[in-house]
Amino acid sequence: MLYLYALSEHPAAVPPVLGLDDTPVAVERLDAVDALIGVVERERVEPSEAAILAHARVVDAVTAANDAVLPARFGRGYSDLDALRTAITARSAELDAALARVRGCLELGLRVMAPRNGTRGRDGSGSGSGSGSDYMRARLEERRQAERVADEVHAPLAELARAASRSVGATPELLLSAAYLVPRNAVEDFRARLAELGDDHPDLTLACTGPWPPYSFATTEAAPR
Amino acid sequence: MKPREDERLLYGAGDLDGLAEELDRVGTAFPRRINADPEHVERGLAQLVLTLVELLRQLMERQALRRMEQGTLTDEELERLGETFQKLEQRMEELKREFELEDRDLNLNLGPLGDLL
Amino acid sequence: MTEHLPAAQQDVTLLELVDRVLNKGVVLTGDITLSVADVDLIYVGLRVLLASVATLEQPETGGA
Repeated sequence: MLYLYALSEHPAAVPPVLGLDDTPVAVERLDAVDALIGVVERERVEPSEAAILAHARVVDAVTAANDAVLPARFGRGYSDLDALRTAITARSAELDAALARVRGCLELGLRVMAPRNGTRGRDGSGSGSGSGSDYMRARLEERRQAERVADEVHAPLAELARAASRSVGATPELLLSAAYLVPRNAVEDFRARLAELGDDHPDLTLACTGPWPPYSFATTEAAPR
Repeated sequence: MKPREDERLLYGAGDLDGLAEELDRVGTAFPRRINADPEHVERGLAQLVLTLVELLRQLMERQALRRMEQGTLTDEELERLGETFQKLEQRMEELKREFELEDRDLNLNLGPLGDLL
Repeated sequence: MTEHLPAAQQDVTLLELVDRVLNKGVVLTGDITLSVADVDLIYVGLRVLLASVATLEQPETGGA
C-alpha cells in the first residue's frame, strides 16, 4: 500500500525522516507535483497516537525541506502508482493552484474563548416572555455581538495573512476558531500583533498554535468562510 | 496521548485549562459523558436523542438568523419561527431536567473540533 | 522537554495537531481510506443529514 503524506512542488526534497511503521519516505515524481509517500505493509491504519505522530512528523519534515507543500489527510492510501498518478492528474489544476497559494507560507491557528455568561437567558430570564420576533431579534443581536468581538481579533490578523478562514460561535464557549496562511518571515510580526490584541482584550482566552504545515489550506475548497 | 517534542503554543493568554477542556470535549463526535450503563439505557438514549435535537435546533436557528439578515423572512414567519424556537427551548429544558442532563452532556460537535457550525 | 510545559499547553497543541492531521489536509478521490475511525463514520453520516436539512429550506431570493 502506498501511504500518502503530502504533495510538494516539483522537485521535492525528501527528508531523511522515518514515518509510519518506521518506514522511510519516498517520492513519486509526477510532472509539476511530487508525492511524498511511504510503502507500508498494511491494509489498515488506525488513528493511534503513534500513527498520527508519525504522519505529523513526516509532514513537518517535508514542509521544512520544501517551499510549497500540501499536507495530505491522515489515512489515505493507494494500491499502486497508477492509482496515485490517476488521482493526482484528475485534480492537477486545483493542486497547482493550491501549491501556488501556500508557497512560502505556514499555518497559524487561533482559538478564542469568551467568558461564560448567561447570555442565552436559559436561567429563565427572558425566555417564555416576549414574542417570537423579540426572541429572534435577541438571538440575532447576540450573534452580531459575537461576530463583532471575534472580528476585533480576527480582522487585524487576517490582514497579515495571505488567506484566512474563521468560524464564530462554533460552540457556546468558542468565540472564534480561525486559521491563517502566513508567509514564513511574517510569523513573528503575527505573533507580536496577536500579543497586542491579547492586551486589548484581557477578558478573552487566546491560544495561537503553530507554525503548522498548511493543513487547512491544502485545497482550494478551504476558502475563507 | 504523549505530547509532541516541540512546543507549538505561539501565544497563549487566559484560561488555557478551560480551553483545553473545551477542545478535548468537542473533539469527539459523541458527548463524553454518554451513559452506556445497561441500567440507565433510557438516560443514555435520551442523551443521544436530545443531543441530536439540540444540534438540529442550533442549525435551524442559525439558518433562520441568516435569513433574517438577508431580509427574506416575512414578519409572520419571523414571529412563528421565534415562537417555535422558544417552545423548543423550553421543552428541551424540561426534558433535560427530567433526565438529569446538563448542557455539556448535549454538546455534539461534528467533525473538526467544533468547526461545522 | 515538554514535561516542563504546563499540561494545558500540551493538551491544546496536541489537540490542534490531531485536529489538523485527522480532519484537514488534502484528500484525493480514488484513494483508499486506510483509517477506520468511528468518528469518521459518524461525521460522514451526519454531514449527509445536514445536507438534507439545508435542502428543506425554501429557495432564497437573495445571495448565499
